[in-house]
Amino acid sequence: MARVAFEGVTKVYGDGTRAVDALDLEIADGEFMVLVGPSGCGKTTALRMVAGLEEITDGVVRIGDRVVNDLSPKSRDIAMVFQSYALYPHLSVYDNIGFALKIKRTPKSEIERRVGEAARTLDLEALLKRKPRALSGGQRQRVAMGRAIVREPAAFLMDEPLSNLDAKLRVQMRADIKKLQSDLGVTTIYVTHDQVEAMTMGHRVAVMRKGKLQQAAAPQELYDNPANVFVGGFIGSPAMNMLEARIERRDGALAAVLGEAAVPLDDETLVRRPALAAYEGRDVVLGIRPEDLDDASLTNGDGLPRLSGRVEIREALGSEMLVHFTVAARQAMTDEVRELAEDVGDDRMLEQYMTGTQAAVATLVGRFAPRTRVLEGEAVEVSIDRRALHFFDPGTGLAIA
Amino acid sequence: MSSSALTGEHSEAARTRGLRVPRGLAFVLPYLPFLVVFGIAPTIYALDLAFTNVSGGWVGLHNFVRTYHDYRFVPAFRHILLYTTVWLAALVVLVVGLVLLLHGRVGRTSSTFRFLYYIPGALAGAASVLVWLFMLDPVVSPGSFLLHHVFGAHIFAQSIAPSHLPYVFAMIAFWTGAGGWIVVMYGALNTIPPDLEEAARIDGAGPFTIALRLKLPLIRKWIAYMVILSFATGTQLFVEPQLVNQASLGLVPDTWSANQLAYQLAFRYADFNAAAAIAADLLLIGLVAATVIVAWTGLFRVED
Amino acid sequence: MRNAALGVRLLVLVAFAAFFILPVVWLVLAPTKSDGALVTHSPLSFGSFHQVWLAWRHLDAFSDHIYRRWILNSLFYSLSATAITVAVGIPAGYGLALGSFPGRRVVLTLTLVAMIMPSAALVLPIFLELDALHLIGSVFSVILPFSFFPFGVYLAYIYYATSLPKDLLDSARVDGCGEWQTFRRIALPLAKPVVALVFFFSFVADWNNFFLPLTVLADSKQYPIQVGLSDLLSSTPSFNPAQGGGGQSVNIFRPELALATLLAVVPVAVVFLVSQRALVRGMLGGAVKQ
Repeated sequence: MARVAFEGVTKVYGDGTRAVDALDLEIADGEFMVLVGPSGCGKTTALRMVAGLEEITDGVVRIGDRVVNDLSPKSRDIAMVFQSYALYPHLSVYDNIGFALKIKRTPKSEIERRVGEAARTLDLEALLKRKPRALSGGQRQRVAMGRAIVREPAAFLMDEPLSNLDAKLRVQMRADIKKLQSDLGVTTIYVTHDQVEAMTMGHRVAVMRKGKLQQAAAPQELYDNPANVFVGGFIGSPAMNMLEARIERRDGALAAVLGEAAVPLDDETLVRRPALAAYEGRDVVLGIRPEDLDDASLTNGDGLPRLSGRVEIREALGSEMLVHFTVAARQAMTDEVRELAEDVGDDRMLEQYMTGTQAAVATLVGRFAPRTRVLEGEAVEVSIDRRALHFFDPGTGLAIA
Repeated sequence: MSSSALTGEHSEAARTRGLRVPRGLAFVLPYLPFLVVFGIAPTIYALDLAFTNVSGGWVGLHNFVRTYHDYRFVPAFRHILLYTTVWLAALVVLVVGLVLLLHGRVGRTSSTFRFLYYIPGALAGAASVLVWLFMLDPVVSPGSFLLHHVFGAHIFAQSIAPSHLPYVFAMIAFWTGAGGWIVVMYGALNTIPPDLEEAARIDGAGPFTIALRLKLPLIRKWIAYMVILSFATGTQLFVEPQLVNQASLGLVPDTWSANQLAYQLAFRYADFNAAAAIAADLLLIGLVAATVIVAWTGLFRVED
Repeated sequence: MRNAALGVRLLVLVAFAAFFILPVVWLVLAPTKSDGALVTHSPLSFGSFHQVWLAWRHLDAFSDHIYRRWILNSLFYSLSATAITVAVGIPAGYGLALGSFPGRRVVLTLTLVAMIMPSAALVLPIFLELDALHLIGSVFSVILPFSFFPFGVYLAYIYYATSLPKDLLDSARVDGCGEWQTFRRIALPLAKPVVALVFFFSFVADWNNFFLPLTVLADSKQYPIQVGLSDLLSSTPSFNPAQGGGGQSVNIFRPELALATLLAVVPVAVVFLVSQRALVRGMLGGAVKQ
């Protein structure tokens, strides 16, 4: 058991690409830390640098108090679960799990005991004699886990271990891994591109983008207070709506103006975000989560600010209705927004960004109550929970706090 | 980044580090002496000998010129070029033709045929020549009918008349080598996704069209490999004419092929420089063929 | 119309099958007949087992059982050289495929070029080289050059570069294996098909090699079987009745020669047929992705 620390860790490849850029992150002893981000963000490279499978260009990685930069993987006391599981095809499940112990010349009886224990924990006892090709995907995943836990290492490193499983199995395994980690209390670094996985499993989640750490915090904190546009748009599904707005004084009070609508800013917002006052007369990026939008006719005039729009598409989920609607406002167009669109495959937004033409209308997504009666093609009044407005500087992308 | 603190930690780590050998080098080391001694050094030595004389003095192209003027040189090269051409033509036409015929919907019989065609491959070398010496002797051969009536040969000496030799050797080489290439090409054809064939069939293509327009273009690469590899090996012909020379008691000269000429120059006349010049000529041909394969067909592509 | 096409196709395939197989069938049947019978009886008839025994007696008697020596020589040369080839070539292919050291590409290119370049052109320089090293006449003059088998290295290289998932090696390193252990415990056991392939190709190439042994061996007692066969050929009046056999009364006629050829082929044929499955799987292994 040990802490793991990245101190200014950088990885530059021969052709100049900076896969990881000055990463500073500390993972406490026994913590479950998830590294999440779109592909190419450097999360796997960072993990492999801890494992010793990638050379560290600059900076220091510590496991415990030791600097491990120059240690080979076998001397670092870590265990790794690979995305492809990397089970040795020519060895049985028993031999696979016990492999590392055999290399260390652990006595046979000891190997038997520990492999047996790991097999019991992961429900693999009936499969010990089989070879990997005779196992299902889920079983192979568990063998890969077994191989890691039997070593009782200082840290677990997991590289997208669930991405090759089908959806239902994935949900089950998420819970299993989380419980396992909690029982064993081993420091764990877990890499995934799936933000749902990140949010449900981690004690803390570190969001990465283009090699740089964006924000590392507990899941709820990331959700409530994203540090920048990227984190705001990455965490949460459907993604946060990002709009162009201008802070203006209307009727003596500050309001966020989008298109024709003006959303007054109440005192609570201004208290929480004192820097917002300095943005009077300037543009900002306004972020509203879909769950903070609802059918105004249902919220019954609680004095909530409203937007007028037209419904494009409804998606009935049963527990709620996802409504895509247009408003006369402009979509925020920043680098981060574009990258998020790329990640999700939103071609329309990408096209707008490429051609530089912003439509005069933006499409927003809202999570309405299931009993909403809005219909496609019709006008709709949407209420905004103004306590949950997010503001970002259009230039830096940072949250205005 | 505080440099002093870091250098301190770095040197601490350095002490736990062992000697950093470039990864993989140790595994390749035992092979290197062989590569040098039996690959690189002989090539250099041959080139050196080809450009020097008996006492080691540089003579430029003298050896090449004088071997060229040897009365046996031109016939020898003419023989091997003719042989190689005939052999390559047979390979391309017949191997490709047979493979396309086999890759129809014949099923299990196809693998039986492939196996039968493959068997002579086990008889490469002197053994295959010996077998064919028998086959070409009208007195004992099961093909005596063909020999008599189609090729007009009634005794062995007629079968191996000098004008027949390139064709005879080409046939022997084809007999031993075709089976292997058929297996390789068949395997290559198998990598064609069945969807492609089905789509072609739906589009109205008959089996002949499919073979010609779909399968043939897809094995073009392998045909190229086959031609280039065979070209290089063909020009190095030695065993077959050597054995025929012995069987015919000198009726067929022992300098029929270029390699044989080099051998005789070295061991009968002890003229190593001349022999090296011819070896250099053959080396050059082999090198050109090798470079063409490596560069053009991208054997390197695995490198990604 | 379809049936006619199928018929033609079958005819062609059968005709070629006859072309490829009949000589082999003849070879198998020839030792069962006497020399006279070979001429008078039908070429594909079966004679008697007794005749085979007689042919063997004659063959064995030739030059003081030299035929046996030739076969044993071939086995010795081929097996020793193949052992070295495998022991040296498989790790080399591994190092070239998965290592990174300066000059890796150079070694790879040289291997590729050497592999495609036929060895016959190098025989004479190798002879001169071995002569300078005073190795001419020893078995090493055959075994060592045989052990250089760039095609084997190339096969191993292709296999390791394409069919071995890199994750497996990373996993072994994390599990505590050093470079040698990674190779011994993971890379090597998983390369069994390639080892079989290299063994097969190397053995057959060594067994069938004629030019090199002819050049470097002077004593006919050291000949491998291929060169021995040519010796046999020049001693027999089989192909030219005018030949007297050089004073030595030898009963080497056509049946004996056929038997000599047949026996020379048996070891290779056995290795051939036994490795069929490994061969085909190995050759197509690169094409089939998991």
